[in-house]
Amino acid sequence: MRKFERIHIVYALLFFMFTQCKKPFEPAVLTRDDNYLVVDGFINTSPGGITTIILSRTKNLTDTVVNIPEHGAKAVVQNAAGISYPLQETGTNGNYISNPITLDNNGQYKIVITTADNNQYQSDLVTAKKTPAIDSVAWRQGGKGVNLYVNTHDPANNTRYYRWEYIQTWEYHSQLETIWGVANGLAYLRTPAEQVHICYNTTMSSDILTGTSAALSQDVISDGLLGTILQNDSTLQYRSSFLVRQYALTPAAYFYWQIIQKNSAQLGTLFDLQPSQLEGNIHSLTNANEPVVGYMSATTLQEKRIAINNSDLQNWQSAPGSYNCTIADVPQNPANFLIVDYPDTSYAPWYYVSMGPLKLGKKVCLDCTLSGGVNVKPSFW
Amino acid sequence: MRYCCLRFSCCLLFFCSFSLIKGQDTARITASFEESSFPEFVRIIEATSLYHFYYDPKETDSLSVSIKANHSKLSGILDQLFQKTLFHYAIDGSNRVFITKKFSISTLLPSDFFNSKKTGSITQDKKDLLSDEPPREKLKAAAENKLFEIGIKGGKDNKPNASLAGYVKDIKTGEGIVGASVYLDTPSIGVNTDQFGYYSLTLTKGRHTLTISSVGMKDAKRQILVHADGKLDIELQEYIGTLKTVIVSAEKRSNTRSLQMGVSKLNIKLIKQVPVVFGEADILKVVLALPGVTSTGEASNGFNVRGGATDQNLILFNDATIYNPSHLFGFFSAFNPDVVKGIELYKSAIPEKYGGRLSSVLDVSLQDGNKKEWTGSAGIGPLTGKFTIQGPIKKDKTSVIAGVRTTYSNWLLNTVPSDAYKNSRANFNDANIRISHFINEKNTLYLTGYISNDKFNLNNDTTYKYGNKNANLKWKHIFNNTSNVVFTAGIDHYQYGISSDGNKVNAFKLGFDINQDYFRADFSYSPNYRHVISYGFNSIFYKLHPGSFTPADQQSLVAPNILPAEQALESAVYLGDQFNVTPEFSVNAGVRYVMFNYFGPHDVNNYVEGLPRDTGTVVSTSSYTAGKIIKTYQAPEIRVAFRYALSDSTSIKLSFNTLQQYIHSLSNTVNVSPTDIWKLSDPHIKPQQGNQVSLGLYKNFKSNTIETSIEIYYKQTKNFLDYKSGAQLLLNSHIETDVLSTRGKAYGVELLIKKNSGKINGWLSYSFSRTFLQVNDPLAGQTINKGNYYPASFDKPHNVNFIGNYRFSHRYSISMNVIYSTGRPITLPIGIFNLGGSNSLLYSDRNQYRVPDYFRTDLSVNIDGNHKVKQRFHNSWSFGVYNLTARQNAYSVYFVQENGKIKGYQLSIFGTAIPFVTYNIKF
Repeated sequence: MRKFERIHIVYALLFFMFTQCKKPFEPAVLTRDDNYLVVDGFINTSPGGITTIILSRTKNLTDTVVNIPEHGAKAVVQNAAGISYPLQETGTNGNYISNPITLDNNGQYKIVITTADNNQYQSDLVTAKKTPAIDSVAWRQGGKGVNLYVNTHDPANNTRYYRWEYIQTWEYHSQLETIWGVANGLAYLRTPAEQVHICYNTTMSSDILTGTSAALSQDVISDGLLGTILQNDSTLQYRSSFLVRQYALTPAAYFYWQIIQKNSAQLGTLFDLQPSQLEGNIHSLTNANEPVVGYMSATTLQEKRIAINNSDLQNWQSAPGSYNCTIADVPQNPANFLIVDYPDTSYAPWYYVSMGPLKLGKKVCLDCTLSGGVNVKPSFW
Repeated sequence: MRYCCLRFSCCLLFFCSFSLIKGQDTARITASFEESSFPEFVRIIEATSLYHFYYDPKETDSLSVSIKANHSKLSGILDQLFQKTLFHYAIDGSNRVFITKKFSISTLLPSDFFNSKKTGSITQDKKDLLSDEPPREKLKAAAENKLFEIGIKGGKDNKPNASLAGYVKDIKTGEGIVGASVYLDTPSIGVNTDQFGYYSLTLTKGRHTLTISSVGMKDAKRQILVHADGKLDIELQEYIGTLKTVIVSAEKRSNTRSLQMGVSKLNIKLIKQVPVVFGEADILKVVLALPGVTSTGEASNGFNVRGGATDQNLILFNDATIYNPSHLFGFFSAFNPDVVKGIELYKSAIPEKYGGRLSSVLDVSLQDGNKKEWTGSAGIGPLTGKFTIQGPIKKDKTSVIAGVRTTYSNWLLNTVPSDAYKNSRANFNDANIRISHFINEKNTLYLTGYISNDKFNLNNDTTYKYGNKNANLKWKHIFNNTSNVVFTAGIDHYQYGISSDGNKVNAFKLGFDINQDYFRADFSYSPNYRHVISYGFNSIFYKLHPGSFTPADQQSLVAPNILPAEQALESAVYLGDQFNVTPEFSVNAGVRYVMFNYFGPHDVNNYVEGLPRDTGTVVSTSSYTAGKIIKTYQAPEIRVAFRYALSDSTSIKLSFNTLQQYIHSLSNTVNVSPTDIWKLSDPHIKPQQGNQVSLGLYKNFKSNTIETSIEIYYKQTKNFLDYKSGAQLLLNSHIETDVLSTRGKAYGVELLIKKNSGKINGWLSYSFSRTFLQVNDPLAGQTINKGNYYPASFDKPHNVNFIGNYRFSHRYSISMNVIYSTGRPITLPIGIFNLGGSNSLLYSDRNQYRVPDYFRTDLSVNIDGNHKVKQRFHNSWSFGVYNLTARQNAYSVYFVQENGKIKGYQLSIFGTAIPFVTYNIKF
């Protein structure tokens, strides 16, 4: 036998490998084509109010489509006595809109939906709540930019739970200004209505905004923060208008929205939030286990609009244009200088240099409507 | 000559058994020797007294005698003379003196009698029977055939019973053996030695045969004749098995005899037999292989017992609370196997002296250190190196054991041909020290220290660190044979931290820590053989820092966020009695009363009454000054267990207990890397409460070599914390708004077949266990899964563990582990929706899905060096493969947003088969 005891130096051999430590985790449930119904909107009990319900489907984690609207459904608002007020599908975004109707402010209502594939959904009966008026919408510049606040109160101390949305409309300009349009290969002078230099874009608030006065002795919301427009943001380069909508909520609805407020799609960090379960008040009558997203409330709607001009702001630097506006020169067509036949169709006429070439610019730089807005000044402007 | 003496001693044995020695050693000797030879010394003594010496002149020719005796007893002179020599002596009733070298001629005469230090007690000769020679069966037989007399015959007391106490020790190291059973067959009474190896037994006066057994040691018997209270220390020899012999060990009967149920005791020798992953014996791995114990997956911190959470286990390392028992993503346990003596895991009948956790108590005991000689061991493996040394600072008085372990895994990560691991780091180290000091027969002190550190990052700039620091001092005081006390005082510290410095602007440090100061007194009193009464009190002062988030760089823009410290005092008194009603039926009943005080300085939010706790419902904040009691919880706890022996090899046990827990951890498992948050009970977070009833049937086969058991249990819990939908757990100063109180139930069945000896040994266990939670907290503001019961995040229904060892010969063995368990539940995002203008994730029901099942097989071949007992160095090799099937078990499952899509990833850390070689050396 070898004298092991003589070995004083100890050593080890090693064949040590890590491989493929991270691999995709794709259980069948994640790739299944289950798209669950999402019901957005509320039952508007304002006198002559229009109820708008938006029906869509959840998308898969790997879907790149923005939205899956639900078409061809039948939706009605129904009161406790079973009287129905139908909604009509309007447009292509899954919006279902009622006629102007006046519902009893103290009544109970539910939404009943039959989808095109004949599945039935319905919400619990909800008691209508009256939303108090917005006292004011205020803004202050400071910190990271412009903060937008809402102030409201309910003298009856009855509301307590609130949700807000705001619709921001802002003016913006194309990076290059032109008076020329093109029709049938020929340049022409645009009419004022056809101008594409000044546009207006509109967006909805993208955060869930809720607030409560439950802990206060009076039902007052003072300077409830709605959002912050970051310093130098282009939406305030000229002027912005904010339409703030206020909804009264029941406590259950408030806590439902609270969960959605916390639940963001931002994932993969140390500070990730825990997964959330949503239990709304809309259920499938066809399959009790099928999740339905949404919480139906019945309430009156209160709105208030304010505008902020760039001239009201301190030190708002204008942001450089976001497009790379390369310019091309083409000789004028000797036969008809109005003929535009530049092979790259992403270019359009900018201006003519007298006796010189036709200056072409990128269409996105010339036409503000290509950036998502409209060239019609809104009525409230 | 030696053989001659031996034969002689055997004869004397009989002689001695029948006749009592009286009156010898009364002669007093006055003499003076100056470098005299031994024969000269003998000549003078024989001339001045009636003593007659028997000795071998050849053996004693090197002995020179320099001694002054003034009216001394001969025993005193000989004690002095033979001190630090290999000589032994014995004096019989006829004034014959026998001198032997290297071994004593058995213990015919009680030495205490001569020493006259302890009248009234007779013990086995304190001198080592075999300090220098390998054990010999004949000598063992000598001790076993001898009749030990306990107490003085004809004592005045007329009580029918007497008490017997002493230590059961390892003959080689002098160290106390924990959990050895000391028992009588008729009447059937027995006790287990305590954490120091001490036992105390009350029995009727008269003749008895004591059987002493412990795993890995040879069974021993002692014939005793009890006259009165007395002491008997018993030394056991290590069992060096012959392969073909079937060892009938009474210890194995103890699972049917012992009153405790749902308890697993494992000696370190047994733990070391279990196939070693990376060649390193691992206590937690063995614990995880026990029935009813699971972990939530690869590299989880800790373990789950009977459907309990990981924070519901009290892990005691020699009475120090260990908050994180694992190293390096759980691949190693935090306990250095070279300093551990054994473990006990209580799953159902938790002794009344323990409390504060709902699920289990894992008691890891430490070695005291070799009291007789300096020894050590060293090991080197692919990831770790370790070194342990132990020995007497003062022989038979003070001993020390110290061990260190460290990793050098970084060079490995650097050699991996993948960039992903070049930038990764993983380190750990730990160190233990324990000093035992034997003051006198009644008092012993134990000082223990432990420190561990872990640090790792996985290919990013985020570093994770955690560490334990513990120290305590124990004083064991023996009042008399029937009662003793252990006082313990100590401090525990656990810290956890994450830091990131890759981006200077975002560089941060995140830290948590837990500090405990504690004191406990544990009394034990056994008035007669039918009762063992234990009582005592303990107190823990907690100081927690539940989170701090601070910039890690001067340029960092991270806003500091430091949550205020929390402090509390948990105190308990307890009383329990183990009552042997009849030999077949015994009861263990105990009660424990616990009080928890949460006190300032602290600010507590007050919420609108009757509404869900939410940031929107805070009415006011109350500030409490330092020391001001904010909230007190108190509750009694009940612990009852019954045993009924159906036959010698079959018993049935029933237990019921209730428990409280005041410290909670919230595990954030959806992250790339799981983080834990610890929290004390406060006015909003109520203590967790639990009760458990369990029933077990135990049956042994084939002369007790095969143990089988089946246990079923049902548990209920209250106030276990789960998180609300969308909860923020890290750095939340109002965590009560993000957690939910749940009501829980757990039930299961555990089956075990175990074979401890023979060529093939090991065990196979299967556990079926379910844990469900339900949210019915009116202040929650939300329910989970519509208020129905849902599986807890550690609910793992099926668990199979196989641990097997096959010995080809003494030197070669092959070991295998097979582990299977259901994957842990997970909540998956199943869709994205847009509501109110905001994109959100739609999640499945809570814990509706599961991560892939866990399966792993390890194989190792162990080669020991030769087994010559005398050689200085013993070495062993082990090589094998970890995760033989190369299955990629999930360490974490997480989701990230990539290019507008949400993608799921499963991270496995050691997702391949890993071969390893380890070399161990003992000296």
